[in-house]
Amino acid sequence: MAPPVPKRRKLQHVEESVRGADSFAGDRVQVQHGITQEKQTPSSNAQDGGRPHKRRDQTIQDGVYTAEVYKSNMFKLQVDELLQQVKPRYGKKEAPAENAMRTLKGIIEQLPGRAPVSISEAETTLKSHGIAIPFPNPRPPKDAKYKLQYDRPSSINATGSYPLKIATRADNGMAIDLVVTMPKALFQEKDYLNHRYFYKRAYYLACLAAGIKACKDHTFRVSFDCLNGNQLQPIIVIDPSGDGDANDFSGSKCLIHILLAVPEKTFVERKMLPSSNCVRPKGVEEESEGKTLSPTPFYNATLQSDATITAYLKFLHATNTTCDAYKDACVLGRVWLKQRGFGSELRKGGFGNFEWAATMAVLLQPNPGAGGSPLSTGYSSYQLFKATLQFLAYKSLSKKPYVFQAPDVTFPKADASPIIFDGPRGLNVLFKMTPWSYSRLQLEAKSTIETLGDSTFDHFESTFILKTNLLKYRYDACLEIPMSAFGLDPTSEEYDEELVEACRKTYNILTRALTDRVTALNFLMPDERGWDVSVSKPLEDQERSILINVATDPSNANRAVDHGPAAENKKEAASFRQFWGDKAELRRFKDGSILESVVWSLKDTSAPVLEQIVLYILEKHLSTQVADKARFTSDSFAHLIPSGRIQAQSGVSSFLPSMNALAIVEKDIRALEGLPLQIRHIFAADSRLRYSTVEPPTTTMARSIHAPASIVVQFEGSARWPDDLCAIQRTKIAFLLKLTDLLSAAQPTYSARVGLENPSQPSQNQAYLDIILPSGFAFRLRIHHDREATLLDRQLKDKSLDGQSRESAASALAVYKRDFVNTPAHTQVLQTLCTRFLALSPAIRLTKRWFASHLLSPHFSSELIELLVVRTFLQPHPWPVPSCATTGFLRTLAWISRWDWRHVPLIVDFSSSFSNSPTDLEGTGPKGMKSEDIEKIQTRFEAWRRIDPAMNRVVIFAATNLDTEGTTWTDKSRPEKVVAARMTSLAKATTNLIKAEDDMVLSLMNGDVEQSERTEVFTPERLFVSQPQDYDIIIHISSKYTMSGKKKSKPAYKNLQIQNGAGNTHCGFNPAEMFARDLQSVYGDALLWFWNPENVDYIAGLWNPTVTGQRGWKVKPGWNSNPLFQSRKGSEKGGQEDQGIEIQVNKGAICNEIWRLGGELINTIDVNR
Amino acid sequence: MPTTKTAKTSRSSKPKTTSTPTTVSDFTILPLTLPSVVLPEIYANASHYLYIKPHAPSHPTASADRSLFIANVPIDASESNIRALFAEQLGGSRVESVEFDSAVPAVAGVKRWRDINKGGDSQGEGRGKKRKRDEDIVAEGVVEDKESRLPQIWPGELRASGGTAVVIFVDERSAKGALREVQRVVKDGRSARWIEGEGLGLQRYEKHHALKYPPKEALQSSINAYLTQFNRAEIARNRLRSKQRSVPDEDGFITVVRGGRTGPARLEEAEKKKAELEERKKKNGVKDDFYRFQTREKRKEAEGELRRKFEVDKRRVEEMKMRRGKTKPQA
Repeated sequence: MAPPVPKRRKLQHVEESVRGADSFAGDRVQVQHGITQEKQTPSSNAQDGGRPHKRRDQTIQDGVYTAEVYKSNMFKLQVDELLQQVKPRYGKKEAPAENAMRTLKGIIEQLPGRAPVSISEAETTLKSHGIAIPFPNPRPPKDAKYKLQYDRPSSINATGSYPLKIATRADNGMAIDLVVTMPKALFQEKDYLNHRYFYKRAYYLACLAAGIKACKDHTFRVSFDCLNGNQLQPIIVIDPSGDGDANDFSGSKCLIHILLAVPEKTFVERKMLPSSNCVRPKGVEEESEGKTLSPTPFYNATLQSDATITAYLKFLHATNTTCDAYKDACVLGRVWLKQRGFGSELRKGGFGNFEWAATMAVLLQPNPGAGGSPLSTGYSSYQLFKATLQFLAYKSLSKKPYVFQAPDVTFPKADASPIIFDGPRGLNVLFKMTPWSYSRLQLEAKSTIETLGDSTFDHFESTFILKTNLLKYRYDACLEIPMSAFGLDPTSEEYDEELVEACRKTYNILTRALTDRVTALNFLMPDERGWDVSVSKPLEDQERSILINVATDPSNANRAVDHGPAAENKKEAASFRQFWGDKAELRRFKDGSILESVVWSLKDTSAPVLEQIVLYILEKHLSTQVADKARFTSDSFAHLIPSGRIQAQSGVSSFLPSMNALAIVEKDIRALEGLPLQIRHIFAADSRLRYSTVEPPTTTMARSIHAPASIVVQFEGSARWPDDLCAIQRTKIAFLLKLTDLLSAAQPTYSARVGLENPSQPSQNQAYLDIILPSGFAFRLRIHHDREATLLDRQLKDKSLDGQSRESAASALAVYKRDFVNTPAHTQVLQTLCTRFLALSPAIRLTKRWFASHLLSPHFSSELIELLVVRTFLQPHPWPVPSCATTGFLRTLAWISRWDWRHVPLIVDFSSSFSNSPTDLEGTGPKGMKSEDIEKIQTRFEAWRRIDPAMNRVVIFAATNLDTEGTTWTDKSRPEKVVAARMTSLAKATTNLIKAEDDMVLSLMNGDVEQSERTEVFTPERLFVSQPQDYDIIIHISSKYTMSGKKKSKPAYKNLQIQNGAGNTHCGFNPAEMFARDLQSVYGDALLWFWNPENVDYIAGLWNPTVTGQRGWKVKPGWNSNPLFQSRKGSEKGGQEDQGIEIQVNKGAICNEIWRLGGELINTIDVNR
Repeated sequence: MPTTKTAKTSRSSKPKTTSTPTTVSDFTILPLTLPSVVLPEIYANASHYLYIKPHAPSHPTASADRSLFIANVPIDASESNIRALFAEQLGGSRVESVEFDSAVPAVAGVKRWRDINKGGDSQGEGRGKKRKRDEDIVAEGVVEDKESRLPQIWPGELRASGGTAVVIFVDERSAKGALREVQRVVKDGRSARWIEGEGLGLQRYEKHHALKYPPKEALQSSINAYLTQFNRAEIARNRLRSKQRSVPDEDGFITVVRGGRTGPARLEEAEKKKAELEERKKKNGVKDDFYRFQTREKRKEAEGELRRKFEVDKRRVEEMKMRRGKTKPQA
């Protein structure tokens, strides 16, 4: 079977054999190389026989012309890099493992045969060797007539991904498979029936284990495990001893699995087809074999998989030689599967590396019955990868099996398991999959396909690099059911089947009960582990639990009413009532229809609707015990912000009153008669009017410390405006005064007054009009005059103006664009997005709370934080669009923690998914930004970095399709570099906490950690606690002037307050915040100030490290200094000369100044450093 | 920093053994004791240090001789407490006025024209280009006076930390006397007491909040005054412009300015015309793909572009690798 070995390899073998000579006799070494040759030929073949020039040197040519078949250059280059990193090198590192395999092969070949024995004899003999035979369940009958026997294997070979060169390095060690083919003579024709084959196999395996254990040539550790968690197929796992002797291969970071195979054609293949029965029910005579027996597809496929190990090795190898890119595509597939938590193990979904490779190989074959082959051998690795995903995503293999060269095979229609039937080898490649793992595979594949379809951004990271199966990021809710709740007996012979049955039932009732409220249901089962060869397989620990993770559809998840069938439809109605029990009721709806329906409580105090449904239905259909022990968690962070839970079908209901108030004001202003110019537009320009403040605005806004919500009014064009900026500002004030008069005449209940701002910049906006509604909502109106932009632009270009004036024009222009153009546009977009993505508003608000509680908010413009969150929703990959506040928030933080803002701009394309609904992964509407636009932004970003490499002016660059400048929200060091770095480190700390919590949940589920052993309980609140000790100075604000203090001292009677009239004049009065702003402008760069604008109970300061050091004397250092003699030895002389005088920052005097400035606002000042 | 001059040896003349220098450059260092407030132990007795010297600006001004220059003024310094400092504690010299280099909030700036054809004669004044009648012509708006200025919205100014001030005394003698007194105090190892600024703390912010909303009448009258002045200024500006229109500069060119006889061409219009012209040119000219060499070159160019893009991408990936290390799937 091994093709002739090329010369080059041979030379190497001689070398190897010299190395290995000390442990082997020379002649045996040749045999040993049977394995190595077998392993290495596929690759050497591909290199020599294929296109050697193309693989070997990565010339430019290669890249330039392959960009087409690889999404983009960037994508291809990164894929190349990735492949290089994950593939084992087959070099020095792996050599010890290969050696170990040779050793094992030698040992196994030397084992003597054993005479046939009965089952009980076999057990006792092997027990004396310290081996417990790993018989599968059900245990063999004691009185079985057949004998068990061991004989020399007919062959021993390396198999699996390692010799095929499609293996990837893994953290927990890569598994190298060694397959031992049992001689055909051991089996009889009817051994495929009733587990007889598996009993013989188990005995054979036990004998191998006994032989390996008894051999003294090595120090391997030997244990049993089950192949892919399939209890019918025990295997031997060889671990390196780890003590560094000759046979230790721990350096190779791998394990060796010894699998057993049965020669092909040992049993009649027809009997192994999915439709036949191979396990006869007890008490039924063998003769009555036939139609009445229910098929046993899983059993048959397991047996068949043992018979086809070598066949698949050959098949995959042949595919490898015909298709160049096959190997790389396999590796890509592996990485993709691993990052999504799929594996061949039954409990991990039954779709792993082998299944991927086999599926792809099958798809590469022409299938005469069903048109051409789905994949072509000419594809690039990326195309192969993508096409395979496409196949998995869009073919419904459970309804319409994919049958390859097996025209007359029929399939049992028992359940919704998927089928890819490989005719020549007679195996359903997907036999280990469950309906839920298949639907999950499809969902992930669809989402990746959609991601890769986006031509604007290259989604390499989200496709291959990110680990996507972190529960807290991927799912919105989690149902934890302890195994014990199912009441299964782990000692029973049917335990495994019963467990699967329980899961299936749970899955079915949950899918039926939750309908379109959820988009994904994922079962996470505890891992299974190997066991020592001297004991029988340990029983499952019933303290472990099953996690059922739920991804929700936000627009349906919180619906109060489930509509069932119409009452006339007797049959369906009966089934509905039977399913829902007492909950079902007949209701008459507005449209006149009378439907069976179920109603859930939406009250704030009650549990979320999902929880109500899940617990109810578990109790109804499983048992009270399950419902009692199950724990359901969803949207665990939502309670941290007011009305953070998505209510019914809206995430913004708490903002409605203020939006209505805005509509009223707008209407009233438009209705005013007598204005010199007509009003053209009224735009909202405030985070309160785009659903993104932490606290929804309330009717007490008039008395709140926050400034009124901004709105912008634009009048119709007129030639009567003066053509001068300063004069325009005055004219605006005149307009505002006029507006005030008209408004107070038309609406006497309104309170309206003109306020001034920007006293230092006469060419910027000078005044605004505060309007306070009787309901308590307050608005701040500014006038937008578009001539300002032209005038500023002209000044900017006017060479006859002095530098200072042009600079001030530039900054005025930036402010103008931000306040009058970008903010209203941003507000409008966010209003739309928040109604489109229900979870967006709560996620933004939660994220803002995080920024605020870590005192970062004063350094970040509100819009920037919003953009960060919007990015999570518009570029959600690799996950679907977040559907609750928690996932939106956590994913945003995860992205921030990864975001290298020094080198990567933030680009948000608002238009990207405007046309397709968030839940629909398949739809790809017209995309807004082209890659040229992105290129332009990138160029602009790079230009900024070239101009300002130290990032003194622009640190974070955030562009959108509406605003390609990228510096609107971040110019003038908002945030500064230190602050941005602090954001990153805080986000990293937070994500680490989340990751640790995720790991903890998994180990709790696996029973590694007892609930009681858990040292600290994770609470979402922990992420929102700031660390005052990180700062140098803490100024505690007297509680009288903080929010929390205010709340306490509120007068009891509202009418008194109104009568006093104190409310309105104090609107937006926030002395603590003003004090903080004063500190900022007084101390400039010397001190960085941090506070929580939601509640300024303390202001924290951080010395600029460049300031705190001593330096030579200077007239204007920019900070308060005290002089001192340069510290040097021999202070006798010191101080005589001026050169000897240095200055340092006078912290004491500064604290004193702060105290003088703050006066009664300050309670205490703490100094940490 | 100016080169040093030897001052009196401070160490010998000092009775106390404090390690604080008394002079630096030609500045005398005057310690100030601060009002006592509740501060952490280590800062309880902190002093503030003023650096004082005779005012010697690089462009001499009329008042320079009777002024002192102070560096590192406290943030709550104002004319009144500096005046009080000299009057009550430093020999009773009478201060005429104090000019600070910084203010929080900053003083409103006025846009001015660059001085093109003028030497440094008016630089000392730092004023605009020309004086016409009794008002400045500035690039925009007007130089506001009491009537046309908008009402103040902050009760007082603060100083940026580490700022400077020029104290102008009534005459040269009092300035010298004040400096002598400062030096005497320093020599004796005494210190002056700083009188804290007024109207700070909550009062400042309450006042600001009230001042932000000036009475309607005041606003209206200020605007009226402003617009009247503005009209005057606009006339003056127009006169200046018309003069510029007729006077060639040193190279013999006449500056194109706003307000010509035919009215200025709008920039937008000019650009539109230009685009139109180009469009017409394009239409009439030879098409890009007429000759064979054109297609060939085009193809070559596209290929080159592809190659360049590939190189750029390659470099980017290379950089990414440098920054992030190896491309490995997350564990």
